[in-house]
Amino acid sequence: MSVEVGSPVAGLATALTEVPDPVFSQAMVGPGVAVKPSGGRADAVAPIAGTVATLHPHAFVVASPSGTAVLVHLGIDTVKLKGEGFELHVAKGDQVEAGQRVVTWDPSEVESHGYASICPVIALETAPEALADLREDGQVVAGDVLFSVGA
Amino acid sequence: MAQDKAAAILAALGGGDNVVEIEPCITRLRCEVEDGSKVDEAALKNAGAHGVMVQGSVVQVVVGPEADTLAEDIEDLR
Repeated sequence: MSVEVGSPVAGLATALTEVPDPVFSQAMVGPGVAVKPSGGRADAVAPIAGTVATLHPHAFVVASPSGTAVLVHLGIDTVKLKGEGFELHVAKGDQVEAGQRVVTWDPSEVESHGYASICPVIALETAPEALADLREDGQVVAGDVLFSVGA
Repeated sequence: MAQDKAAAILAALGGGDNVVEIEPCITRLRCEVEDGSKVDEAALKNAGAHGVMVQGSVVQVVVGPEADTLAEDIEDLR
């Protein structure tokens, strides 16, 4: 059984190697795809259905019952914004559906603070071979499938 | 087990006295240290770090999604 991972945001899907952070570009915590958000204030949605395993204003992890955990990081080095401009709609431990809004944020505001707004979407601690159907270019809307993770 | 890992990471960072601050980000520990030369990158990797990035007095230890709990364990040891 495989899990389809949807884009948390609307924007331009791109290879992880484009992310200006070695942790993500070198897939140190897992493989995935990145999305460069288009537009201003918007919702970031859950990429898969499951439990909110980790929650920060600028990043979250959703873990499926089958054990797949997907990390969404909203922008790079955005921990330094200390949550400013990020509005959370769920709590750690909550069950979420794929496509359910998790955080409202503003990619253009993030960029105005000098940070990249690109969003890595990572299958945590997964072998690169487990990923299929990677979408690494083209415009996506929130919920469009970025890749699937095999069991 | 987790305590052992926390202890190993703290030791590799040069010990509690060398650590000014540890802030967990979602996949990594952002550590500020007194003396970057006391940081043992090889030991950090042996302790389970996926990667280590040192920029002056700031050390980022990539530990994956357990960063939050590890940071708490390290704080308990300091």
